[in-house]
Amino acid sequence: MREIIRKTYSVCPVCLKRIPAVHAAEGKTVYLEKTCPEHGNFSAVIWRGLRDLEAWRGNLPEIAEGENENCPHACGLCPEHRQGTCCVLLEVTKRCNLNCAFCFAEGGSGEDIPFAALQRQLHDLAEPGKTLVQLSGGEPTVRDDLPRIVAAAKEAGCRYVQLNTNGIRLAADKEYVRALAKAGLSFVFMQFDGTRDPIYRTLRGRGLFDIKKQAIENCAQHNLGVTLVPTIVPGVNTGDIGNIIRFAVAHSPAVRGVHFQPVSYFGRFPSLPSDSRRFTLDELLLAIEDQAGELVPGDSLHPSRCDHPLCGFHGDYLVMQDQTLHPLHKGQSNCCEPVTAEQNRNFVARRWQRPDAEDAKEPAVGDDIETLEGFLRRICSHSFTVTAMAFQDAGNLDLERLRTCSLHVYSDGRFVPFCAYYLTKQA
Amino acid sequence: MTEKERKWKCGKCSQVLTLQKVVFDYLGHTFSHEVPACPKCGQVFISKELAEGRIAELEEELEDK
Repeated sequence: MREIIRKTYSVCPVCLKRIPAVHAAEGKTVYLEKTCPEHGNFSAVIWRGLRDLEAWRGNLPEIAEGENENCPHACGLCPEHRQGTCCVLLEVTKRCNLNCAFCFAEGGSGEDIPFAALQRQLHDLAEPGKTLVQLSGGEPTVRDDLPRIVAAAKEAGCRYVQLNTNGIRLAADKEYVRALAKAGLSFVFMQFDGTRDPIYRTLRGRGLFDIKKQAIENCAQHNLGVTLVPTIVPGVNTGDIGNIIRFAVAHSPAVRGVHFQPVSYFGRFPSLPSDSRRFTLDELLLAIEDQAGELVPGDSLHPSRCDHPLCGFHGDYLVMQDQTLHPLHKGQSNCCEPVTAEQNRNFVARRWQRPDAEDAKEPAVGDDIETLEGFLRRICSHSFTVTAMAFQDAGNLDLERLRTCSLHVYSDGRFVPFCAYYLTKQA
Repeated sequence: MTEKERKWKCGKCSQVLTLQKVVFDYLGHTFSHEVPACPKCGQVFISKELAEGRIAELEEELEDK
């Protein structure tokens, strides 16, 4: 027997109509349940009860009667959206040099958006001195003119330019990496699903581990920070989470952190999954503690306060010379005080971007982080983050979460919350 | 210590301040830093430059996002 513990809204996975939904608890496990008058009942697990859900979520209000009634179909952004833009994603191509089993963007073929059109969009989306733009795709590095696009983003006033990539071209083409760095690229988010080739063969169709290592090395030569982005899929790489963190720490300061993304089912995916094929945020928290607790203690990871707490978490550390992590924020975070998108943007960008080459050198005086100067030097050169973003699909979309989203896709002059933009009907 | 700081005296003890290593706690971390302090009572002087410079940087890094 399930007990209703919270009311919200979602969409029907078949027709995508907005419908009421509830959080229903069975023991400690919580499901999102909903009924479409036309297509029937749907349920998806959202929390396994491995952490206290109420404590993690904090004191956030439910969607009240009459609120967000046009969500998600009027997304872009409406006055009722509750968070500003932390990061804006711009697709620069639909093409890709992989054919992955899972892809939010459902990349494929087709003509690229002309450079002049992208340049106009960058001018339209940029808030000079503030914007963090993610160049995404498809696979952005299939474009030879990507360095020119990076330069255009900087000229438009974007403070930070992030590249979302699988790393294949970065590994193969050092001159291309040099050109991206010279054009003003701030940092790289690189797909990195594990430390063993069978994982890549399952998810990406080919072994890629050596390529990932080479891409990191090439970025390091040009002082480009790399954050590793694993898509976590049950039965494929959930057992490699600790190894990914250890690999990332061992490659600091070139690698700036790990950004976990539990698999979500939009874009290109086989079919909406059974609950056993979902990996909830609390499962990820437990897996990190179980597999890499010596590096990342559980109490060093805190719920997102920029986005909804059920959308992600973050932990901030210094990498020490013995390759341990020194947590910067320990104990309970104040989850009830939201931060603005701008605060969040500046915070994460400072971590993900490497300092100028001179400042990035290993401090001469060991780990003297007990002095103010030593601590500030180390934080400048050896910051490290463990973060997660749990994207939502048509099966588990919760509009209470969506209305606080700060990652927005720029399209047709609108800023659309990520999970609304990529929402895909069940076949 | 700047020339200006060398002339500061403790308001309570009238002793000229000397550079001393002091330890302070902030948001669960402990740091040491050399600042002018009274050799008699130990009262420290935090200059505007330090407060608005390195300590402000520290605050920015340690305040949870």
